[in-house]
Amino acid sequence: MSKDMSEETSRAGTASDARVVQSGGGLSIRGFGVTIIRVVIIGGFLLLWEIASGRWIEPFLISSPSRILSSLFTGFTSGDLIQHTWVTFQEIAIGFPAGAISGIALGYWFGRSRLLAEIFEPIIIALNGIPRTAVAPLFIVWLGIGLWSKVGVVFLLTFFLNFFNTYTGMRQMDREYIDLARLMGVKGWKLTFKVIFPAISPYVFTGIRTSIPFAVIGAIVGEFVAATEGVGFFIRMSAGIFKTADVFVGIIILMIMVIVMDRIAEMIEKRALRWQTQTEHIQIQA
Amino acid sequence: MANTAIETSQSTNPRNHPVIQVENVSKLFRTPSEGTISALQSISLNVPHGEFITVVGPSGCGKSTLLKLIAGFSPPSSGRILCQNEEVRGLNTKVGYVPQESKLFPWLTVEQNVGFGLDSRRYPREKREHQVQQFIKLAGLAGFEKYYPAQLSGGMSKRASIIRALAYEPAVILMDEPFGPLDAQTRMVLQDELLKIWEQKRQTIVFVTHDLVEAVALADRVVVITHRPGKIKDIINVPMERPRNIFEIHRQEGFDEAYGRLWNIFRHELNIGTH
Repeated sequence: MSKDMSEETSRAGTASDARVVQSGGGLSIRGFGVTIIRVVIIGGFLLLWEIASGRWIEPFLISSPSRILSSLFTGFTSGDLIQHTWVTFQEIAIGFPAGAISGIALGYWFGRSRLLAEIFEPIIIALNGIPRTAVAPLFIVWLGIGLWSKVGVVFLLTFFLNFFNTYTGMRQMDREYIDLARLMGVKGWKLTFKVIFPAISPYVFTGIRTSIPFAVIGAIVGEFVAATEGVGFFIRMSAGIFKTADVFVGIIILMIMVIVMDRIAEMIEKRALRWQTQTEHIQIQA
Repeated sequence: MANTAIETSQSTNPRNHPVIQVENVSKLFRTPSEGTISALQSISLNVPHGEFITVVGPSGCGKSTLLKLIAGFSPPSSGRILCQNEEVRGLNTKVGYVPQESKLFPWLTVEQNVGFGLDSRRYPREKREHQVQQFIKLAGLAGFEKYYPAQLSGGMSKRASIIRALAYEPAVILMDEPFGPLDAQTRMVLQDELLKIWEQKRQTIVFVTHDLVEAVALADRVVVITHRPGKIKDIINVPMERPRNIFEIHRQEGFDEAYGRLWNIFRHELNIGTH
Protein backbone atom coordinates (compact mmCIF):
# COMPACT_ATOMS: atom_id res chain seq x y z
CA MET A 1 0.00 0.00 0.00
CA SER A 2 2.83 2.35 0.68
CA LYS A 3 4.83 1.12 -2.28
CA ASP A 4 2.98 3.16 -4.88
CA MET A 5 3.61 6.31 -2.93
CA SER A 6 6.42 7.49 -5.09
CA GLU A 7 4.01 7.98 -7.97
CA GLU A 8 1.61 9.98 -5.91
CA THR A 9 4.30 12.09 -4.41
CA SER A 10 4.26 14.63 -7.15
CA ARG A 11 6.94 16.96 -6.02
CA ALA A 12 5.77 20.43 -6.70
CA GLY A 13 9.20 21.78 -7.20
CA THR A 14 11.91 19.79 -8.87
CA ALA A 15 14.32 21.51 -11.18
CA SER A 16 12.47 20.42 -14.30
CA ASP A 17 9.14 22.07 -13.69
CA ALA A 18 10.40 25.42 -12.51
CA ARG A 19 10.34 27.85 -15.34
CA VAL A 20 12.60 30.83 -15.26
CA VAL A 21 10.83 33.76 -16.81
CA GLN A 22 13.15 36.54 -17.68
CA SER A 23 12.02 39.96 -18.74
CA GLY A 24 13.68 41.72 -21.64
CA GLY A 25 13.57 40.74 -25.29
CA GLY A 26 10.87 42.83 -26.95
CA LEU A 27 11.98 45.90 -25.06
CA SER A 28 15.05 46.64 -27.17
CA ILE A 29 13.30 48.38 -30.07
CA ARG A 30 11.29 50.52 -27.73
CA GLY A 31 14.43 51.25 -25.69
CA PHE A 32 16.20 52.39 -28.83
CA GLY A 33 13.36 54.76 -29.70
CA VAL A 34 13.41 56.22 -26.21
CA THR A 35 17.15 56.90 -26.51
CA ILE A 36 16.71 58.63 -29.88
CA ILE A 37 13.96 60.90 -28.58
CA ARG A 38 16.02 61.73 -25.51
CA VAL A 39 19.04 62.68 -27.62
CA VAL A 40 16.88 64.81 -29.91
CA ILE A 41 15.38 66.70 -26.96
CA ILE A 42 18.74 67.38 -25.31
CA GLY A 43 20.39 68.27 -28.63
CA GLY A 44 17.52 70.58 -29.56
CA PHE A 45 17.74 72.31 -26.22
CA LEU A 46 21.49 72.88 -26.53
CA LEU A 47 21.06 74.13 -30.09
CA LEU A 48 18.32 76.56 -29.06
CA TRP A 49 20.51 77.76 -26.19
CA GLU A 50 23.42 78.33 -28.57
CA ILE A 51 21.23 80.26 -31.03
CA ALA A 52 19.47 82.32 -28.37
CA SER A 53 22.69 83.40 -26.74
CA GLY A 54 23.81 86.73 -28.19
CA ARG A 55 20.78 87.02 -30.45
CA TRP A 56 17.85 87.22 -28.07
CA ILE A 57 19.47 87.09 -24.62
CA GLU A 58 22.68 88.67 -23.39
CA PRO A 59 25.50 86.07 -23.23
CA PHE A 60 26.56 87.22 -19.75
CA LEU A 61 23.19 86.06 -18.47
CA ILE A 62 23.00 82.62 -19.96
CA SER A 63 26.39 82.08 -21.62
CA SER A 64 26.23 79.39 -24.34
CA PRO A 65 27.17 75.72 -24.75
CA SER A 66 30.19 76.56 -26.90
CA ARG A 67 31.48 79.14 -24.43
CA ILE A 68 30.97 76.73 -21.54
CA LEU A 69 32.84 74.03 -23.40
CA SER A 70 35.81 76.28 -24.10
CA SER A 71 35.84 77.53 -20.48
CA LEU A 72 35.82 73.96 -19.30
CA PHE A 73 38.77 73.23 -21.55
CA THR A 74 40.86 76.23 -20.52
CA GLY A 75 39.95 75.71 -16.89
CA PHE A 76 41.26 72.19 -16.92
CA THR A 77 44.35 72.88 -19.01
CA SER A 78 45.40 75.71 -16.71
CA GLY A 79 45.05 73.31 -13.75
CA ASP A 80 42.87 75.79 -11.84
CA LEU A 81 39.75 73.75 -12.14
CA ILE A 82 41.51 70.55 -11.21
CA GLN A 83 42.66 72.17 -7.97
CA HIS A 84 39.13 73.42 -7.15
CA THR A 85 37.61 70.05 -7.95
CA TRP A 86 40.23 68.28 -5.86
CA VAL A 87 39.51 70.47 -2.85
CA THR A 88 35.75 69.89 -3.03
CA PHE A 89 36.34 66.21 -3.60
CA GLN A 90 38.45 66.01 -0.44
CA GLU A 91 35.77 67.70 1.64
CA ILE A 92 33.20 65.18 0.44
CA ALA A 93 35.56 62.21 0.59
CA ILE A 94 36.12 62.84 4.30
CA GLY A 95 32.77 64.24 5.38
CA PHE A 96 30.48 61.88 3.52
CA PRO A 97 31.78 58.50 4.72
CA ALA A 98 32.22 59.83 8.23
CA GLY A 99 28.67 61.19 8.27
CA ALA A 100 27.19 58.09 6.70
CA ILE A 101 28.97 55.67 9.03
CA SER A 102 28.12 57.61 12.18
CA GLY A 103 24.53 58.03 11.04
CA ILE A 104 24.16 54.33 10.34
CA ALA A 105 25.87 53.38 13.60
CA LEU A 106 23.67 55.67 15.68
CA GLY A 107 20.54 54.54 13.85
CA TYR A 108 21.53 50.98 14.65
CA TRP A 109 22.11 51.72 18.34
CA PHE A 110 18.83 53.54 18.65
CA GLY A 111 17.14 50.52 17.13
CA ARG A 112 18.84 48.15 19.55
CA SER A 113 18.44 50.11 22.74
CA ARG A 114 15.00 51.30 23.64
CA LEU A 115 16.40 53.36 26.50
CA LEU A 116 18.83 55.20 24.26
CA ALA A 117 16.06 55.89 21.77
CA GLU A 118 13.70 57.11 24.46
CA ILE A 119 16.25 59.55 25.84
CA PHE A 120 17.64 60.92 22.62
CA GLU A 121 14.86 60.66 20.07
CA PRO A 122 13.22 64.01 20.86
CA ILE A 123 16.60 65.69 20.93
CA ILE A 124 17.56 64.32 17.55
CA ILE A 125 14.22 65.30 16.06
CA ALA A 126 14.61 68.81 17.43
CA LEU A 127 18.12 69.06 16.00
CA ASN A 128 16.82 67.78 12.70
CA GLY A 129 14.35 70.66 12.68
CA ILE A 130 17.22 73.11 12.28
CA PRO A 131 17.80 74.02 8.63
CA ARG A 132 21.26 72.56 8.52
CA THR A 133 22.76 74.90 5.96
CA ALA A 134 22.05 77.70 8.41
CA VAL A 135 24.64 76.15 10.69
CA ALA A 136 27.37 76.45 8.04
CA PRO A 137 28.64 79.89 9.22
CA LEU A 138 29.00 78.45 12.71
CA PHE A 139 31.26 75.74 11.37
CA ILE A 140 33.41 78.40 9.74
CA VAL A 141 33.72 80.09 13.14
CA TRP A 142 34.59 76.83 14.84
CA LEU A 143 36.77 75.17 12.27
CA GLY A 144 38.19 77.99 10.18
CA ILE A 145 37.81 78.69 6.49
CA GLY A 146 39.84 75.69 5.39
CA LEU A 147 38.97 72.09 4.68
CA TRP A 148 37.51 71.10 8.04
CA SER A 149 34.62 73.52 8.20
CA LYS A 150 33.31 72.12 4.91
CA VAL A 151 33.90 68.57 6.08
CA GLY A 152 31.76 69.52 9.07
CA VAL A 153 28.87 70.73 6.94
CA VAL A 154 29.06 67.67 4.68
CA PHE A 155 29.12 65.47 7.76
CA LEU A 156 26.08 67.14 9.24
CA LEU A 157 23.98 66.86 6.11
CA THR A 158 24.96 63.26 5.50
CA PHE A 159 24.61 62.18 9.09
CA PHE A 160 20.93 62.91 9.61
CA LEU A 161 19.71 61.31 6.41
CA ASN A 162 21.63 58.14 7.15
CA PHE A 163 20.59 58.15 10.75
CA PHE A 164 16.89 58.47 10.01
CA ASN A 165 16.87 55.87 7.27
CA THR A 166 18.78 53.33 9.34
CA TYR A 167 16.66 53.97 12.40
CA THR A 168 13.50 53.55 10.33
CA GLY A 169 14.93 50.29 9.03
CA MET A 170 15.57 49.11 12.58
CA ARG A 171 11.99 49.84 13.55
CA GLN A 172 10.41 48.35 10.45
CA MET A 173 12.55 45.24 10.52
CA ASP A 174 10.82 41.95 11.10
CA ARG A 175 11.78 41.03 14.67
CA GLU A 176 11.08 37.40 13.95
CA TYR A 177 14.31 37.17 11.96
CA ILE A 178 16.27 38.15 15.04
CA ASP A 179 14.36 35.75 17.26
CA LEU A 180 14.89 32.91 14.82
CA ALA A 181 18.57 33.64 14.45
CA ARG A 182 19.04 33.84 18.21
CA LEU A 183 17.17 30.59 18.61
CA MET A 184 19.66 29.09 16.20
CA GLY A 185 22.42 30.21 18.51
CA VAL A 186 23.57 33.39 16.77
CA LYS A 187 24.50 36.28 19.03
CA GLY A 188 26.78 39.26 19.47
CA TRP A 189 28.48 40.78 16.46
CA LYS A 190 27.40 37.87 14.29
CA LEU A 191 23.80 38.74 14.96
CA THR A 192 24.54 42.34 14.05
CA PHE A 193 26.38 41.73 10.82
CA LYS A 194 24.83 38.50 9.60
CA VAL A 195 21.21 39.19 10.44
CA ILE A 196 20.40 42.74 11.44
CA PHE A 197 22.40 44.62 8.84
CA PRO A 198 21.30 42.42 5.96
CA ALA A 199 17.72 42.81 7.13
CA ILE A 200 17.90 46.60 7.20
CA SER A 201 20.26 46.98 4.25
CA PRO A 202 17.59 48.28 1.83
CA TYR A 203 16.98 51.16 4.25
CA VAL A 204 20.68 51.77 4.78
CA PHE A 205 21.27 52.01 1.05
CA THR A 206 18.35 54.37 0.62
CA GLY A 207 19.97 56.58 3.23
CA ILE A 208 23.35 56.48 1.55
CA ARG A 209 21.97 57.21 -1.89
CA THR A 210 19.66 60.02 -0.89
CA SER A 211 22.45 61.65 1.09
CA ILE A 212 24.89 61.81 -1.83
CA PRO A 213 23.50 65.01 -3.42
CA PHE A 214 23.23 66.51 0.05
CA ALA A 215 26.88 65.81 0.75
CA VAL A 216 27.75 67.84 -2.35
CA ILE A 217 25.33 70.58 -1.31
CA GLY A 218 27.04 70.68 2.08
CA ALA A 219 30.47 71.18 0.54
CA ILE A 220 29.23 73.92 -1.78
CA VAL A 221 27.31 75.78 0.92
CA GLY A 222 30.39 75.69 3.10
CA GLU A 223 32.47 77.10 0.30
CA PHE A 224 29.89 79.77 -0.46
CA VAL A 225 30.07 81.03 3.10
CA ALA A 226 33.83 81.35 3.28
CA ALA A 227 36.57 79.70 1.34
CA THR A 228 39.64 80.34 -0.75
CA GLU A 229 39.26 77.40 -3.07
CA GLY A 230 36.83 74.67 -4.13
CA VAL A 231 34.15 74.40 -6.78
CA GLY A 232 31.67 76.38 -4.68
CA PHE A 233 34.22 79.15 -4.28
CA PHE A 234 34.89 79.02 -8.03
CA ILE A 235 31.19 79.37 -8.85
CA ARG A 236 30.68 82.28 -6.48
CA MET A 237 33.78 84.07 -7.67
CA SER A 238 32.89 83.54 -11.36
CA ALA A 239 29.36 84.82 -10.83
CA GLY A 240 30.77 87.86 -9.05
CA ILE A 241 32.70 88.90 -12.13
CA PHE A 242 29.97 87.82 -14.56
CA LYS A 243 31.96 84.94 -16.00
CA THR A 244 28.72 83.06 -16.51
CA ALA A 245 30.32 80.33 -18.57
CA ASP A 246 32.53 79.46 -15.60
CA VAL A 247 29.49 79.30 -13.32
CA PHE A 248 28.03 76.70 -15.63
CA VAL A 249 31.35 74.88 -15.71
CA GLY A 250 31.23 74.63 -11.89
CA ILE A 251 27.66 73.39 -11.99
CA ILE A 252 28.56 70.74 -14.55
CA ILE A 253 31.43 69.52 -12.39
CA LEU A 254 29.11 69.19 -9.41
CA MET A 255 26.57 67.38 -11.51
CA ILE A 256 29.19 64.92 -12.67
CA MET A 257 30.36 64.41 -9.10
CA VAL A 258 26.87 63.53 -7.93
CA ILE A 259 26.26 61.22 -10.89
CA VAL A 260 29.55 59.38 -10.44
CA MET A 261 29.02 58.92 -6.71
CA ASP A 262 25.47 57.77 -7.24
CA ARG A 263 26.54 55.28 -9.87
CA ILE A 264 29.19 53.82 -7.59
CA ALA A 265 26.67 53.57 -4.76
CA GLU A 266 24.16 52.00 -7.11
CA MET A 267 26.69 49.40 -8.20
CA ILE A 268 27.48 48.47 -4.61
CA GLU A 269 23.80 48.43 -3.75
CA LYS A 270 22.97 46.13 -6.63
CA ARG A 271 25.62 43.69 -5.54
CA ALA A 272 24.68 43.82 -1.90
CA LEU A 273 20.95 43.58 -2.53
CA ARG A 274 21.20 40.95 -5.23
CA TRP A 275 18.72 38.83 -3.31
CA GLN A 276 16.19 41.59 -3.68
CA THR A 277 16.70 42.92 -7.19
CA GLN A 278 16.73 39.48 -8.72
CA THR A 279 13.17 38.97 -7.75
CA GLU A 280 12.10 41.75 -10.06
CA HIS A 281 13.45 40.02 -13.11
CA ILE A 282 13.19 36.34 -12.43
CA GLN A 283 10.12 34.57 -11.34
CA ILE A 284 9.90 30.89 -10.69
CA GLN A 285 6.75 29.09 -11.45
CA ALA A 286 6.57 25.76 -9.74
CA MET B 1 23.91 29.59 27.65
CA ALA B 2 24.34 25.87 27.56
CA ASN B 3 23.77 25.04 23.96
CA THR B 4 26.62 22.56 23.86
CA ALA B 5 26.66 18.81 23.82
CA ILE B 6 23.28 18.37 22.25
CA GLU B 7 24.19 15.20 20.49
CA THR B 8 25.75 13.56 23.50
CA SER B 9 22.81 14.36 25.74
CA GLN B 10 20.50 12.98 23.11
CA SER B 11 22.32 9.71 22.86
CA THR B 12 22.71 9.23 26.60
CA ASN B 13 19.06 9.99 27.30
CA PRO B 14 16.94 6.90 27.57
CA ARG B 15 14.41 6.82 24.76
CA ASN B 16 11.39 7.56 26.83
CA HIS B 17 12.77 10.27 28.99
CA PRO B 18 10.89 13.51 28.35
CA VAL B 19 12.81 16.11 26.40
CA ILE B 20 10.22 18.72 27.20
CA GLN B 21 8.43 18.92 30.50
CA VAL B 22 5.71 21.50 30.81
CA GLU B 23 4.78 21.79 34.46
CA ASN B 24 1.57 23.48 35.42
CA VAL B 25 2.14 26.41 33.11
CA SER B 26 -0.21 29.36 32.79
CA LYS B 27 0.11 32.45 30.68
CA LEU B 28 -1.75 35.69 31.15
CA PHE B 29 -1.76 38.53 28.67
CA ARG B 30 -2.55 42.09 29.50
CA THR B 31 -5.18 43.63 27.25
CA PRO B 32 -4.99 47.27 26.16
CA SER B 33 -7.93 48.00 28.46
CA GLU B 34 -5.89 46.95 31.50
CA GLY B 35 -7.66 43.63 31.88
CA THR B 36 -5.99 40.26 31.58
CA ILE B 37 -6.65 37.37 29.26
CA SER B 38 -5.75 33.91 30.33
CA ALA B 39 -4.23 32.34 27.25
CA LEU B 40 -3.12 29.12 28.88
CA GLN B 41 -4.16 27.61 32.17
CA SER B 42 -2.43 24.88 34.12
CA ILE B 43 -0.87 23.11 31.20
CA SER B 44 1.16 20.03 32.03
CA LEU B 45 2.70 17.95 29.30
CA ASN B 46 5.66 15.66 28.82
CA VAL B 47 7.16 15.14 25.40
CA PRO B 48 9.38 12.07 25.25
CA HIS B 49 12.38 11.91 23.01
CA GLY B 50 11.62 11.14 19.37
CA GLU B 51 7.90 11.70 19.62
CA PHE B 52 5.82 13.47 17.01
CA ILE B 53 3.21 15.29 18.99
CA THR B 54 0.54 17.55 17.55
CA VAL B 55 -1.32 20.23 19.41
CA VAL B 56 -4.77 21.10 18.12
CA GLY B 57 -7.36 23.57 19.17
CA PRO B 58 -9.59 26.30 17.81
CA SER B 59 -7.85 29.45 16.66
CA GLY B 60 -6.95 31.75 19.47
CA CYS B 61 -6.84 28.95 22.03
CA GLY B 62 -3.23 29.61 22.93
CA LYS B 63 -1.59 26.71 21.14
CA SER B 64 0.92 29.02 19.45
CA THR B 65 1.51 30.65 22.81
CA LEU B 66 2.52 27.28 24.18
CA LEU B 67 5.16 26.94 21.47
CA LYS B 68 6.43 30.44 22.13
CA LEU B 69 6.80 29.61 25.81
CA ILE B 70 8.73 26.44 25.04
CA ALA B 71 10.97 28.43 22.70
CA GLY B 72 11.48 30.96 25.47
CA PHE B 73 10.26 33.94 23.47
CA SER B 74 8.38 34.97 26.59
CA PRO B 75 8.25 33.54 30.11
CA PRO B 76 5.22 31.71 31.53
CA SER B 77 3.17 33.62 34.09
CA SER B 78 3.35 30.66 36.41
CA GLY B 79 4.67 27.12 36.34
CA ARG B 80 7.84 26.13 34.57
CA ILE B 81 9.10 24.46 31.45
CA LEU B 82 12.04 22.12 31.37
CA CYS B 83 13.97 21.28 28.26
CA GLN B 84 16.39 18.40 28.70
CA ASN B 85 16.03 18.77 32.46
CA GLU B 86 16.98 22.41 32.41
CA GLU B 87 14.49 25.15 33.09
CA VAL B 88 13.84 27.38 30.12
CA ARG B 89 14.94 30.91 30.97
CA GLY B 90 15.31 33.28 28.09
CA LEU B 91 15.62 31.98 24.55
CA ASN B 92 15.78 28.23 24.39
CA THR B 93 18.55 27.46 21.94
CA LYS B 94 17.89 23.74 22.20
CA VAL B 95 14.80 24.01 20.05
CA GLY B 96 14.30 24.68 16.39
CA TYR B 97 11.37 26.79 15.34
CA VAL B 98 9.32 26.70 12.16
CA PRO B 99 7.11 29.77 12.06
CA GLN B 100 3.74 30.10 10.35
CA GLU B 101 5.20 31.97 7.45
CA SER B 102 8.44 30.54 6.14
CA LYS B 103 10.58 33.46 7.34
CA LEU B 104 13.62 32.31 5.44
CA PHE B 105 16.34 34.92 5.62
CA PRO B 106 15.70 36.64 2.28
CA TRP B 107 19.32 37.73 1.86
CA LEU B 108 20.63 34.16 2.01
CA THR B 109 20.35 31.43 -0.59
CA VAL B 110 18.50 28.21 0.15
CA GLU B 111 21.81 26.54 0.93
CA GLN B 112 22.92 29.30 3.28
CA ASN B 113 19.55 29.35 4.98
CA VAL B 114 19.64 25.62 5.63
CA GLY B 115 23.22 25.85 6.88
CA PHE B 116 22.54 28.88 9.05
CA GLY B 117 21.89 27.01 12.28
CA LEU B 118 24.88 24.75 11.72
CA ASP B 119 27.36 27.63 11.60
CA SER B 120 26.88 28.70 15.18
CA ARG B 121 27.09 25.10 16.37
CA ARG B 122 30.62 24.50 15.17
CA TYR B 123 29.92 21.68 12.82
CA PRO B 124 33.11 20.70 11.06
CA ARG B 125 33.11 21.98 7.49
CA GLU B 126 32.63 18.61 5.80
CA LYS B 127 29.90 17.51 8.13
CA ARG B 128 28.19 20.83 7.57
CA GLU B 129 28.26 20.48 3.79
CA HIS B 130 27.10 16.91 3.99
CA GLN B 131 24.29 17.73 6.37
CA VAL B 132 23.02 20.65 4.30
CA GLN B 133 23.13 18.65 1.09
CA GLN B 134 21.39 15.73 2.68
CA PHE B 135 18.49 17.80 3.94
CA ILE B 136 18.18 19.73 0.70
CA LYS B 137 17.91 16.44 -1.11
CA LEU B 138 15.41 15.05 1.38
CA ALA B 139 13.21 18.09 0.88
CA GLY B 140 13.39 17.83 -2.89
CA LEU B 141 15.20 21.12 -3.22
CA ALA B 142 18.23 19.77 -5.07
CA GLY B 143 19.04 22.14 -7.91
CA PHE B 144 17.75 25.14 -5.98
CA GLU B 145 20.68 25.54 -3.59
CA LYS B 146 21.69 28.90 -5.01
CA TYR B 147 18.19 30.35 -5.23
CA TYR B 148 17.06 33.19 -3.03
CA PRO B 149 13.83 32.78 -1.05
CA ALA B 150 12.04 35.38 -3.15
CA GLN B 151 12.57 33.13 -6.16
CA LEU B 152 10.87 30.12 -4.57
CA SER B 153 7.25 29.09 -4.64
CA GLY B 154 5.28 28.94 -1.41
CA GLY B 155 5.69 25.19 -1.06
CA MET B 156 9.39 25.32 -1.75
CA SER B 157 10.11 28.03 0.78
CA LYS B 158 8.07 26.10 3.31
CA ARG B 159 10.23 23.03 2.75
CA ALA B 160 13.37 25.11 3.08
CA SER B 161 12.03 26.67 6.27
CA ILE B 162 11.38 23.26 7.77
CA ILE B 163 14.76 21.78 6.93
CA ARG B 164 16.45 24.94 8.17
CA ALA B 165 15.11 23.99 11.60
CA LEU B 166 15.82 20.27 11.22
CA ALA B 167 19.31 20.52 9.78
CA TYR B 168 21.18 21.62 12.88
CA GLU B 169 19.57 18.84 14.88
CA PRO B 170 18.06 20.69 17.81
CA ALA B 171 16.65 18.52 20.59
CA VAL B 172 13.08 19.52 19.71
CA ILE B 173 11.51 21.12 16.68
CA LEU B 174 8.53 23.36 17.24
CA MET B 175 6.24 23.92 14.27
CA ASP B 176 3.61 26.60 14.37
CA GLU B 177 0.95 25.74 11.78
CA PRO B 178 3.60 25.53 9.10
CA PHE B 179 1.22 24.28 6.42
CA GLY B 180 -1.60 26.67 7.26
CA PRO B 181 -1.45 29.03 4.30
CA LEU B 182 -0.85 26.36 1.63
CA ASP B 183 -3.32 24.87 -0.80
CA ALA B 184 -4.67 21.38 -0.07
CA GLN B 185 -2.48 19.50 -2.57
CA THR B 186 0.80 21.15 -1.63
CA ARG B 187 -0.11 20.61 1.95
CA MET B 188 -0.50 16.88 1.53
CA VAL B 189 2.73 16.59 -0.38
CA LEU B 190 4.54 18.46 2.34
CA GLN B 191 2.95 16.45 5.14
CA ASP B 192 4.11 13.35 3.34
CA GLU B 193 7.63 14.71 2.98
CA LEU B 194 7.76 15.82 6.58
CA LEU B 195 6.82 12.33 7.73
CA LYS B 196 9.41 10.76 5.47
CA ILE B 197 12.14 13.01 6.80
CA TRP B 198 10.98 12.46 10.33
CA GLU B 199 10.95 8.71 9.89
CA GLN B 200 14.59 8.86 8.90
CA LYS B 201 15.71 11.28 11.58
CA ARG B 202 13.25 10.68 14.41
CA GLN B 203 13.65 14.12 15.83
CA THR B 204 11.22 15.24 18.50
CA ILE B 205 8.53 17.43 16.97
CA VAL B 206 5.82 19.53 18.56
CA PHE B 207 3.47 20.50 15.76
CA VAL B 208 0.67 23.00 16.24
CA THR B 209 -2.30 22.91 13.88
CA HIS B 210 -6.00 23.64 13.74
CA ASP B 211 -6.60 20.91 11.18
CA LEU B 212 -7.90 17.74 12.82
CA VAL B 213 -7.01 15.45 9.93
CA GLU B 214 -3.48 16.81 9.87
CA ALA B 215 -3.23 16.43 13.65
CA VAL B 216 -4.17 12.75 13.52
CA ALA B 217 -2.30 11.91 10.35
CA LEU B 218 1.07 13.11 11.60
CA ALA B 219 1.03 12.42 15.30
CA ASP B 220 1.93 9.79 17.80
CA ARG B 221 -0.16 11.75 20.26
CA VAL B 222 -2.62 14.57 19.79
CA VAL B 223 -2.97 17.17 22.50
CA VAL B 224 -6.36 18.90 22.46
CA ILE B 225 -6.50 22.40 23.84
CA THR B 226 -9.79 24.12 24.57
CA HIS B 227 -10.75 27.65 23.81
CA ARG B 228 -9.96 30.40 26.30
CA PRO B 229 -8.69 29.79 28.83
CA GLY B 230 -6.53 27.25 27.01
CA LYS B 231 -6.51 24.03 28.96
CA ILE B 232 -5.56 20.55 27.93
CA LYS B 233 -8.86 18.80 27.37
CA ASP B 234 -7.47 15.44 26.38
CA ILE B 235 -4.48 13.68 24.94
CA ILE B 236 -5.24 11.06 22.31
CA ASN B 237 -2.91 8.27 21.33
CA VAL B 238 -2.72 7.56 17.64
CA PRO B 239 -1.51 3.99 17.39
CA MET B 240 -1.47 4.03 13.58
CA GLU B 241 1.28 2.13 11.85
CA ARG B 242 4.26 3.88 10.32
CA PRO B 243 5.25 4.65 7.66
CA ARG B 244 1.87 6.20 6.96
CA ASN B 245 0.34 7.00 3.63
CA ILE B 246 -0.82 10.57 3.94
CA PHE B 247 -2.66 10.42 0.63
CA GLU B 248 -4.88 7.59 1.79
CA ILE B 249 -4.76 8.26 5.48
CA HIS B 250 -8.52 7.73 5.79
CA ARG B 251 -8.18 4.12 4.80
CA GLN B 252 -5.44 3.39 7.27
CA GLU B 253 -6.32 1.33 10.28
CA GLY B 254 -6.74 3.35 13.43
CA PHE B 255 -7.36 6.65 11.70
CA ASP B 256 -11.14 6.58 11.99
CA GLU B 257 -11.06 5.74 15.63
CA ALA B 258 -8.57 8.46 16.57
CA TYR B 259 -10.28 11.01 14.38
CA GLY B 260 -13.66 10.06 15.80
CA ARG B 261 -12.49 10.59 19.35
CA LEU B 262 -10.97 13.90 18.42
CA TRP B 263 -14.07 15.06 16.64
CA ASN B 264 -16.21 14.09 19.59
CA ILE B 265 -14.22 16.38 21.83
CA PHE B 266 -14.46 19.20 19.34
CA ARG B 267 -18.15 18.72 18.81
CA HIS B 268 -18.77 19.40 22.46
CA GLU B 269 -16.33 22.23 22.34
CA LEU B 270 -18.12 23.86 19.41
CA ASN B 271 -21.57 23.11 20.82
CA ILE B 272 -23.03 22.03 17.53
CA GLY B 273 -24.66 18.79 18.67
CA THR B 274 -24.86 15.70 16.55
CA HIS B 275 -26.39 16.80 13.28
